[in-house]
Amino acid sequence: MTEIGKVAIVGVAQTKYEEDKIDQTYSELVFEVVKKLHNDLGITNDDVGCVITSSNDFNDGRTIANMAIQDAVGSVRKAESRVSGDGAFAFMYGAMRILSESFDTVMVVSHCKCSEVSQYLVNNTIFDPYYQRHLGLDQISSAGLMANMYMNKYGVTEEQAAMVVVKNRKNALNNPYAHLREEISINDVLNSKMMAYPLKELDFPPFSDGAVAMLLAKEDVAKKMTDTPIWFKGYGNCTDAYYLGNRNMTDLIGLELAAKEAYRMAGVNNPRENLDVCEVSESFSVHELMIYEALGLCDKGEGGKFIESGETEMNGSTPVNPSGGVLSSNPTMANGLIRVAEIALQLQGKADKRQVPNAKTGLAYGMNGICSQGNCVLIFGGEN
Amino acid sequence: MPKHDVAIVGIGQTKFRSKRRDVNIPEMIYEAVKMALDDAQLEPKDIDALIIGNMDHFEGINFSELMCGIEAAPGYLKPIVKVATGGTTGSSLAICGYHNVASGIYDNVLVIGWEKLNEGGATTGIITAFDPVWERPSLAGALGPLALMAGMYSAKYGITAEQAAKVTVKNRSNAANNPFAHLQMPNITIDYVMSSQMISYPLRLHDVCPQSEGACALIYANEEETKKITDNPAWFHAVETAHYYTFGTDDKMYDLPTATFASKKAYKKAGIKNPVKDLDVAEIYEPTSWSELSWTEALGFCKPGEGGKLLDEGITLMSGEFPVNPSGGVLSTNPIGATALVRVAEAAIQVMGRGEKRQVPDVEKALAMGFGGSLWTEILILGKEPMR
Amino acid sequence: MSRKKSQEKIFEIKWKTDLPYRYSIGKLAVKFFEELKENKKIMGSKCSKCGKVHSPPRAVCAECFIEMTVEDMVELSPRGTLEGFTVINYPFTDPATGGLRPFPYGYAIFKLDGADTYTMHFINETDYTKLKVGQRVEAVFKEEREGNIGDIMYYKVIKEEK
Repeated sequence: MTEIGKVAIVGVAQTKYEEDKIDQTYSELVFEVVKKLHNDLGITNDDVGCVITSSNDFNDGRTIANMAIQDAVGSVRKAESRVSGDGAFAFMYGAMRILSESFDTVMVVSHCKCSEVSQYLVNNTIFDPYYQRHLGLDQISSAGLMANMYMNKYGVTEEQAAMVVVKNRKNALNNPYAHLREEISINDVLNSKMMAYPLKELDFPPFSDGAVAMLLAKEDVAKKMTDTPIWFKGYGNCTDAYYLGNRNMTDLIGLELAAKEAYRMAGVNNPRENLDVCEVSESFSVHELMIYEALGLCDKGEGGKFIESGETEMNGSTPVNPSGGVLSSNPTMANGLIRVAEIALQLQGKADKRQVPNAKTGLAYGMNGICSQGNCVLIFGGEN
Repeated sequence: MPKHDVAIVGIGQTKFRSKRRDVNIPEMIYEAVKMALDDAQLEPKDIDALIIGNMDHFEGINFSELMCGIEAAPGYLKPIVKVATGGTTGSSLAICGYHNVASGIYDNVLVIGWEKLNEGGATTGIITAFDPVWERPSLAGALGPLALMAGMYSAKYGITAEQAAKVTVKNRSNAANNPFAHLQMPNITIDYVMSSQMISYPLRLHDVCPQSEGACALIYANEEETKKITDNPAWFHAVETAHYYTFGTDDKMYDLPTATFASKKAYKKAGIKNPVKDLDVAEIYEPTSWSELSWTEALGFCKPGEGGKLLDEGITLMSGEFPVNPSGGVLSTNPIGATALVRVAEAAIQVMGRGEKRQVPDVEKALAMGFGGSLWTEILILGKEPMR
Repeated sequence: MSRKKSQEKIFEIKWKTDLPYRYSIGKLAVKFFEELKENKKIMGSKCSKCGKVHSPPRAVCAECFIEMTVEDMVELSPRGTLEGFTVINYPFTDPATGGLRPFPYGYAIFKLDGADTYTMHFINETDYTKLKVGQRVEAVFKEEREGNIGDIMYYKVIKEEK
């Protein structure tokens, strides 16, 4: 990989994340964030070079789901392309279109309305139709397997897992966009209904509807558009094995390698010291503990002790998910781009009540598939 | 000017057939991947990143890139991204691959498009591409709107069914020279096309593309890696996408404005003033015989309304000044998620001079086109020499 | 690859899971179907900037990139002009029912009077030689309407000079 050029996030916009936005089509959700972004930045559609969207045909119940949002993203006579999957991957495609010097500005948009279809059925279709799908595997059952193997290997406790949920839900109280905004206790988590041993109902996120948009620009354009451009610094993308049986279920190998690559590009030598804030796509409580380890915020097997230390809380050394994370808002396909948007807000100093003081460098993690199979790690900096 | 020049350095495709019941999805894709790797003489470990696409609902597999990238291609512990945009999936993949390398993020990428159409229902899958409230109840897959377009085009310019039939005759006899093509008909006649069943007026059975199963894989590299791999690459000169409205019916449907928008931009970038003279061959995405005539107008190969005349004069025949679809085109082979990538592959084959029986002499520059969505167009221009 | 069919073992797995959806239709469509059901009216949405009338109604004018609301909805004539037509004459599975959709059926694109965009719907003619671009058409409504697009059963050709 050669030295890469400069690209910045100049602005972001989000909807409020809710359980059921039945009064809006997904196209109207997209228009809401795109228009908000235009208004915030004082730009028109003519200032947007091209558009990259992220969506998933199974969630939208439409083949070529991006067809329905062409007017909402303003793609008349313009290029739009669609990454099928998580929004963090769409961010990177957008950034590449600027780095290839093909466009000065790129808008990246992601949407998802979980309320329109059974998420268990949608997630079951991720498994291959030959060997696994008939077994009825979905994100809940596979998370149960992963959590059990990880906790068994490293002696992590259900209480430690519950602390992740308590932390993220508490953070969500400060995020006006968050879906679940209720403080809960460790006992609430431990006493909630058993879903897939050892994971209980509150170890899992809700399903949400929502959309997120952001504008990326090359260096000179970004500086004209905003006083607080957020610079793209590092990127790593790594895919773990497909069959769960082929995976190392106790360590997120793919994420670990993606993070290493991103750290190398961004010059992050000691993630715990260099990163001021992280926004990660944790699909269940224990998952966040495993993510700490894969990101190198703590040693292997130390995730449980690390959450106990309080270092990932709002007043800790490396706050993780000040927004409340996926455990508080989960419009699945949009999760990765929401993480990027939240990091941009943190580094711009515009995160209001959820602001981490003096955040200079931040990490966003987006995921495709089940249990961290497809991993996209992005590093951003407030300084050029 | 892009940061890096990008070239196609390896090409693989399966033999396309209506059904590949002998293989499962990853096995089918692997055939194309292996051929591309062998062609570039690369090992799986040499690949930096993968870009894969198909249309989810045709096979009913969600996040299919995670299955196919790992089980059919060297994606384990590597970056994989899925791009899917309907009929344009193949060209969208090709363009995404270009930006991956041109940006300097990766030195090489493996781009894969595939479809195993007959494992699901293509027409049913296409219907769900349309609005569930307004469009789906009366829609009959892609054919209904394509029939309307053909009828409107014919009514506007007086194009005849015989002129359309000539396209099928040209493309399916070209396909006889392409060992990968699905429908190869060396002895096809105009009468044969015109006496086939009327399936959606004015479209007869042989005015319409087939449904094929198969995969196509391309390897791209930047200038430095290209030098190490081959002395006969095909360089990217331009990649362009144009979209228009959400509903195809928002505008007149007798022509394809996006093909005009996208091709004009691409010609400008690639320094092409007169496409018929400055380009040597085109691989275009013609879902029906009528659409090839219409698209040749939209792409500026002739004036509006003269698509029929262009073919009547033999200009787009293999023996003509500017052959269109030497591979046999979409009328001969249509594995949806791979269809537009096959156009790019065939354009590269022509530029490299590796077309064997379907080779157009002395190709310097070639055009590839993708078509899909709500009448979207993507244009890629390849050349024997790098742009700079 | 062996070409001897008798030696080739082919296995298939059938997967028939139903994946039902509940689509939001948006406020403009709610109004559209109310008017259709109650008053046999066909509504479009008019852009307050360029004046373009969209049929069916849409929340965003793509050219101007501004929002259209229920207040921007205008009544369209049930009559219009045929711009293109076909007769669907092949079998396929209807995703709404899972069964085969009956064929042949007439399928047309036309511009309703008062609209600037085109509309696609059924036309009650399966003999394409009887259809001509430029013919006048009119919507035929169901007597017992349910508030969906099927309340317009089809369009028919009418004798009326434009």
